[in-house]
Amino acid sequence: MARVLIVDDSALSRRLLRAIVEVDGHEVFEATDGLSALEQYYLQRPAVVFLDLIMAGMKGIEVLAKLRELDPQARVIVATADIQKSSVALAQEAGAAAYVTKPFDRDTVLATLREQLAEVAHPKESE
Amino acid sequence: MTILSDKDRDAIVELLNIAFGRAAASLSELTGKRVILEVPQVTLCSIDQVGEVFSGLTADEVVTVQQIFTGPVAGDALLMLDVPGARHLCSLLTDSGVLPPHIGESEREVLTEVGNILLNACLGTFGNMLDISISFSVPWLRMEAVRGLLESLVIDNQELRYALVVSTDFSLKDGAVGGFLVLVLGVASLERLLAAVEAMK
Repeated sequence: MARVLIVDDSALSRRLLRAIVEVDGHEVFEATDGLSALEQYYLQRPAVVFLDLIMAGMKGIEVLAKLRELDPQARVIVATADIQKSSVALAQEAGAAAYVTKPFDRDTVLATLREQLAEVAHPKESE
Repeated sequence: MTILSDKDRDAIVELLNIAFGRAAASLSELTGKRVILEVPQVTLCSIDQVGEVFSGLTADEVVTVQQIFTGPVAGDALLMLDVPGARHLCSLLTDSGVLPPHIGESEREVLTEVGNILLNACLGTFGNMLDISISFSVPWLRMEAVRGLLESLVIDNQELRYALVVSTDFSLKDGAVGGFLVLVLGVASLERLLAAVEAMK
């Protein structure tokens, strides 16, 4: 079981994502904006963060940069409705570990999460 | 004023067919229902006529999720639903499955996120196909008559003169939810759009 932080300003998306993540028995924390995401990350030290990009206030990409500044090992899976290849590239440049799009596909989300948790447990030598 | 040739119109309709198709697929995934999509309608008109175009699309009060997009092609993207359809859509997306008596705070929140997903699916496909990067504002929801929407349209931050209104109407197979996806672009964006379409050929 791992600690997973979900950052999204939409209650619907948090609820849908939580339901998927809890299938694997993980402990889920939620944040509704960038500032509370940083606070929750500091307090909970989650193994993986799911992060929305389009949010009021601090944008997701800024939150990603701040999280990586706070913890260079932070594992952030961008979880967004933005399906553009240019946004995927931007997120990768900012240090995102993976990118999943809405509406969430249960199998894709779980596979991505398991892959990231496996890398947390057995980091690649290059990291 | 830019005049759309038949060839340009055909290219734009095909591009939007694909983009709206991705949005319809997203709606289908969210609701678990088959979505029926009509062929997109493309209208180039002066900004004064946009209201008439919209009034022809829907009547009375509508629930609209609006998102401003910026980049090489910029404008307003709108998801428009009639109120009964919006209520039914909410019932499909809540655990209880109960039809809400009205559009309250939680229904607004659900519909805003649905709009976010559909509009991003549409515009993201658009951006990917044209190989351009589009940025999105946070979506917001409003409930009012169609004409009231015009005051909030932002097109290229320039004097509004002409707009390309592209729309498609969709419905779920059981017919309980129908609505429109609308993009409003200014002339400068239209010219960039046509250039990008030309480069894609």
